Amino acid sequence: MTPIQSPLIETRGLYKSYENDGVSTPVLFDINLTIKKGEFVSIMGPSGSGKSTLMHILGFLDMHSSGQYLFQGNATGTMTDNELARIRATRVSFVFQAFNLLPRTTVYENVLLPLLYHPSIRVADRKKHTLDAIATVGLTDRKDFYSSQLSGGQKQRVAIARALVTEPDVIFADEPTGNLDSQSGIAVMSALQKLHNDGHTIILVTHEHETARHAERILHIKDGRIDSDSKDFKRVIATTTSSLK
Amino acid sequence: MRISDTFSSALKGVTTNPSRSMLTMLGIIIGVGSVVLMSAIGASMKGVIVGQISSLGAKSMVVFPGKEEGGGGQVMAGFNSLTFDDLEKLKRLDSIDTVAPIVFLKGTVSYGRDEASPQVLGVTPEHFITQVTDVEEGRLIDQTDIDGASAVALIAPDARQKLFGESDPMGKRVKIGDHLFTVIGVTKPLGTQFFQNADDRIYVPFSTARQITGQKYINQITMNATQGFDLAVSDIKYLLRQRHDIDNPDDDQKKDDFIVHTSEEAGAILAGVSLGLTAFITTIAAISLLVGGIGIMNIMLVSVTERTREIGLRKAVGAKSRDILLQFLTESILLTVIGGLIGMLGGLALAFVISVFVKGILSTYAFAVSIPSVTVAFLMAAFTGLVFGISPARKAAALHPIESLRYE
Repeated sequence: MTPIQSPLIETRGLYKSYENDGVSTPVLFDINLTIKKGEFVSIMGPSGSGKSTLMHILGFLDMHSSGQYLFQGNATGTMTDNELARIRATRVSFVFQAFNLLPRTTVYENVLLPLLYHPSIRVADRKKHTLDAIATVGLTDRKDFYSSQLSGGQKQRVAIARALVTEPDVIFADEPTGNLDSQSGIAVMSALQKLHNDGHTIILVTHEHETARHAERILHIKDGRIDSDSKDFKRVIATTTSSLK
Repeated sequence: MRISDTFSSALKGVTTNPSRSMLTMLGIIIGVGSVVLMSAIGASMKGVIVGQISSLGAKSMVVFPGKEEGGGGQVMAGFNSLTFDDLEKLKRLDSIDTVAPIVFLKGTVSYGRDEASPQVLGVTPEHFITQVTDVEEGRLIDQTDIDGASAVALIAPDARQKLFGESDPMGKRVKIGDHLFTVIGVTKPLGTQFFQNADDRIYVPFSTARQITGQKYINQITMNATQGFDLAVSDIKYLLRQRHDIDNPDDDQKKDDFIVHTSEEAGAILAGVSLGLTAFITTIAAISLLVGGIGIMNIMLVSVTERTREIGLRKAVGAKSRDILLQFLTESILLTVIGGLIGMLGGLALAFVISVFVKGILSTYAFAVSIPSVTVAFLMAAFTGLVFGISPARKAAALHPIESLRYE
């Protein structure tokens, strides 16, 4: 599918520092980037480079200190906590390294969770959205399983289904294969590639070059700055989603 | 987030870890349970006391020989201060009427092989007016019985049951001490009067009892006040002190050789008991709900820490701080409401079991529920959840999503 060539995410001179007891710790410097709708971008860098902080700012979990962050052309610098929460509920979603599934809760209930906070998806439509998302990651037969009954790979697929269920504009995946064995990791990356092929915008944060190459573009972050922005690499294509089942 | 979603999320939070929820609720369960139990016992006791007062009659008074002691104690035994002359003089007072003397007749009561030890009272027809007693069958003791000092007996239901069982007592002859009496009637149940079973009694004519005992004094005199208790009491005291040569200008009851009680005093005792009980229950409620509330706050604070990642996740998928606040607040209210319900049902069940046992000793004791107390206890429990849930809920709502997601 051809991505739509309009900027979904745009930053200009983005700067972030943390203030602690009067001590300022700068983390990101002069970040200028543009991500279009439908892109699959890896943000890569070593531990402490600032890649996760950048993801948190782009995903509205945190605010930048200065510079500009435009989401779909709209400035985000003055958003209130409630406005940020609303964007997280409707426009963005996350897949975390540690899965972050609710304990003692079924697959269905975990995937349903974001819809409880979605302001416009009707209650009557929740079930369909949830079951569709579960079907997309191939876990329909395990929808009533508790999270403790699933393997690591299955848990991460539940997390992907949870990220999909609100049909967000962009999915952020933070080290999604970090806690998985290689086969499960391939299956998860395959699922993300399939989502990308279906038109979803995906931003993957990883410190592993091999994982980053599943995207079509890699941004290298080093010491809080964009070191390189490249599409010139051999892309890794993971196995198809059918192997997930 | 919809209210129904907040509620279902909170319910899920409560039911996900039932043992923790149960431990959290324990303080509230015990608190509400004890309040409901105490108030139910209080309501039952109130019924017993009200029953006693109504059987005494609204204007009823009683005078008996004896002495008030310090600290509210009374000595009645061994006093023979009330004479028949006193009785005649009392009858002339305008402030009282229906003066009814009582002489107790001692001795075992038997019918055939069955023996019993009911209280045997020699009474006049006026007694049945002041004590509001009527017959179930047969007739009351009348003036003819008094005039003729008849050997007749009127038996109360419990005494009848002990002596005759299910057989008809009418016309049968019972032996009281060495004397035979013909049963002329059975009274309706009276219940308990001042914790004495008023249904385990046999009434005989006053004149007959007096003849048998040869007693020159009266054990008790009941009467009704015609205008007000104050006037009646002061008239009686004045008369008896004058007759008994008691100099008591300060109205010091310790100097008297008689005691006067009114049903109004019994009402005041009831009000005092009721007030004391209410204060007692309120104190228990306040302490237990405070302890329960602190327990809930502690566990909820621990729960917020334990569920930090969950809170971070909920915020990451779009929960506002208000959604988290409401969810945790609803959880603590749910815990107290469920705990309150369990405590309420437990307290009522226990009160019912107690009523079954106590009824065997105190026949007029009946299972009763104080609806206002139960309602207040329940609402206070819910309010406790609200008050003590605020701090943990605010702590949860204030958590930063990233820090929460990173929490180990």
